[in-house]
Amino acid sequence: MHLRRRVLLGVALLLCAAASLDAAWIPLKAQAAQLLIKRSWNVVASGQPAPPPWPWADTRPAAVLEAPDHGVRLFVLEGSSGRNLAFGPTFANGTETGEDLVISGHRDTHFRFLQEIQNGDRIRITRHSGVETYEVVQTDVVDSRAARMLIDPGASRLSLVTCYPFDAASAGGPLRFVVTALPVARQGS
Amino acid sequence: MTRPSIRDRLESDAWNRYPETARRIAGLQKPARRRNTHRSERYILLAYALLVIVLILRIETAHAEQDPFWGIEFHSGEHSLQAVAIDTEVTAEITGLLARVEVTQRFRNTESGWAEAIYRYPLPEGAAVDRMRVTVGERVLQGEIREKEDARRVYTEARDEGKVASLVEQARANQFETRLANIATGEEITVSIGFLAGIDFRDGVFSLAIPMTSTPRWDPDQPFAGSQHRFISADTTDAYRLTLDILLRTPLPLSSLESRFHDIDIATEPDGYRIFLADPDTRTDRVFELAWAPELGNAPQSALMSWDGGDAVYALMMLAPPIPEAIAPQAREVIFIIDTSGSMEGAPLEQAVAALAQGLTFLEPEDRFNLVEFNSDFRPLFEESVSAMPWRIAEATEFLLGLEADGGTHMAPALDYAMTLPARGELLRQIVFITDGSVGNERELLLEIGNKLGDSRLFTVSIGSAPNAWFMRKAAGVGRGIHTHVGRMEDVKARIASLWARIETPAVQNLDVDWGMDAEFYPEVIPDLYAGEPLWLYARLPHEPRDVTGSGELDGVYWETRARLVPGGGGENIASLWARNRIEALEDSRIFGIDADEVRQQVVATALEFGLVTRYTSLVAVDRTPSRPVHEDLAQSGAPSLLPAGSNFVMGFSQTATGWPAQLALSLLSLFVVLAMLLHTPPKRERRTTGSKSENPEVGA
Repeated sequence: MHLRRRVLLGVALLLCAAASLDAAWIPLKAQAAQLLIKRSWNVVASGQPAPPPWPWADTRPAAVLEAPDHGVRLFVLEGSSGRNLAFGPTFANGTETGEDLVISGHRDTHFRFLQEIQNGDRIRITRHSGVETYEVVQTDVVDSRAARMLIDPGASRLSLVTCYPFDAASAGGPLRFVVTALPVARQGS
Repeated sequence: MTRPSIRDRLESDAWNRYPETARRIAGLQKPARRRNTHRSERYILLAYALLVIVLILRIETAHAEQDPFWGIEFHSGEHSLQAVAIDTEVTAEITGLLARVEVTQRFRNTESGWAEAIYRYPLPEGAAVDRMRVTVGERVLQGEIREKEDARRVYTEARDEGKVASLVEQARANQFETRLANIATGEEITVSIGFLAGIDFRDGVFSLAIPMTSTPRWDPDQPFAGSQHRFISADTTDAYRLTLDILLRTPLPLSSLESRFHDIDIATEPDGYRIFLADPDTRTDRVFELAWAPELGNAPQSALMSWDGGDAVYALMMLAPPIPEAIAPQAREVIFIIDTSGSMEGAPLEQAVAALAQGLTFLEPEDRFNLVEFNSDFRPLFEESVSAMPWRIAEATEFLLGLEADGGTHMAPALDYAMTLPARGELLRQIVFITDGSVGNERELLLEIGNKLGDSRLFTVSIGSAPNAWFMRKAAGVGRGIHTHVGRMEDVKARIASLWARIETPAVQNLDVDWGMDAEFYPEVIPDLYAGEPLWLYARLPHEPRDVTGSGELDGVYWETRARLVPGGGGENIASLWARNRIEALEDSRIFGIDADEVRQQVVATALEFGLVTRYTSLVAVDRTPSRPVHEDLAQSGAPSLLPAGSNFVMGFSQTATGWPAQLALSLLSLFVVLAMLLHTPPKRERRTTGSKSENPEVGA
């Protein structure tokens, strides 16, 4: 075989391997970060101000999201930036302290479970202020270019937002999948 | 390659016929090699193409997009909340240093059913909102100031009783929201909000900026089909039209009068000018900014305006800075601090680096400087500040270009470092602090700046689209410097140049104003007076002022300025602006440990007396006759979400996919292809050339 061809193939091999590792690193990072965040959250739960989960982090955990029907337990971070989303679902800026909660997550890491979510599923959110259980009442697909979400601090509600469709090959699509859940206590009324 | 192309066939044909020529050409072009490895090179190309796709996908992992959204939403039961057409009419009267502005917006409830509408409007920084008038059909509602909870209760009750009602609340600094209840289908509503704004004056130019509701983009090919009550269509119809009527009263002849982003018509009036939009089809899609400059020789002197309110006289004083040409620039020590935390990633860091790089070019060899970057940790470029020699500047520029955004935002250690450096003889130390200001512990930081800054000065440059402007402005205030905001890359040059023009000439320090009597004035601590940037003071005085003098130190020498009384005055508006500044001072005092309840009490008292919307007070208006029969539903059934309980706001969506599965699949696929090619020797192709073997001995290894 040509020497040059071998070199070329070798380089291509290395590049492919690097790209594979880079891609595989994303879900690994998503998992690993959650473990580190857990430690930080335990401090929060004990009443101390939350330390950043790792020393150079620019965020901190604000809540625990549990979906028992799907075996999911996630730590939700403050600050909805692309960087933070790599580590965990994030609260839309400013909603973490209110009652109208909006949480975004990646459809192919933390929020993958949303593709199986159904009306009636329970979701539990634990914050400093207490625990609230929500029931999924509605799911929508919206076009993020044309729609905005309404936040009403007077409402008690949980919205989970992720990209749509779930199996799209490329990131960056305009559609969003929005799950709306209401507190269980209010369902009866 | 089952079917060779015609060209291939012709080529091999020719080579078989003319072997000599073929060999020669092969020697030049290595055609045989090309032909033999044709296939594998194709694979390699394919692999590269895949890699490129993978990389593109990787790059596409975008960031949160959060466009500001100003406008109106109708809340309707099972239906969507739609942005409806808005007509906007702006009237303003500018007298001296004050503008009384009224923004009137008209819209129609196109929803079937009874709707509650919410709309928000951005206002100029420091504006004082004091008026609201709502017209629904034939009815006119006049707003009245109440304490926030009280106003909310009045509004909620009226809403539930089916009455037309409206409420103006301050949602955040400079963001006000109006709620309207019980608007019948097809009914037309007009909302007027009146506010006072100070006129900006820098570098010899007066200006007034009136923010407009932005018009979100709309893709007609992707109409928003959602009828879910959670979302608002970012609708743009042929409305959003803007009309404008501004009366500019000025006793001074003007050398220029222009609008930065709109074409305007100007009419001359006996006491000034009247300004209209030239294009009747103007939309509210960009800020309206009017700028005017007095003729040369009329460079503004310190001026005083007053209004007798009966039990007190309110005065507004403009302290004009010395003309920069009259002062020699001073040598100083500049410490640049740049935020390289994770939140600065991308455009913010680029802007910060550009701003800083430009700042470096203004340094003179007599100056000393240093550069500090911080995120979770901080790192000064030089061990101690160095003379601004060209090679040092080059070194610093290189350092800047190598910066990357990552890690947390730990401002305090970096600031602390800069503030506690040992003094360099007589050199004034100026700290230029560049950040997007996303911090949580603002109070502690401000306290620390107040305690540790000493004789140094702190200048803040906020970066990006959503910086914590409040903190940055306050930090510069506490640090007796200036705050500059750089929102876009295009702004960097002008903003930094203007900042530099201010800080390179000595400022008047230790300012004091002699009102000739006891005065309650704001700001209580007078900042330094920088070239090109006058200061405004608002005072409440026992009686009419006569001779007001400001004095301070300029370059160690006594300096004073006498305020000229402007005839005509600014009317009662001065009292409102005084109250607005008093409220701001009260709220700031919380930073320095004043009890929140006490602050609240005083703010509420002031706001009620002067009729201002604040964090604790709202404007509420209720029509007495019910408009909606009580048994009909206010169209906000469905979800309890639509109860008006606070400041609604809208948000865009974050980018919520990484695309890693596709990236992984593609890169693994390429990996296998390449691996297969590496391990598998391609079958020898039929050789038709005589030249190739001898020319390419390595073939067939």
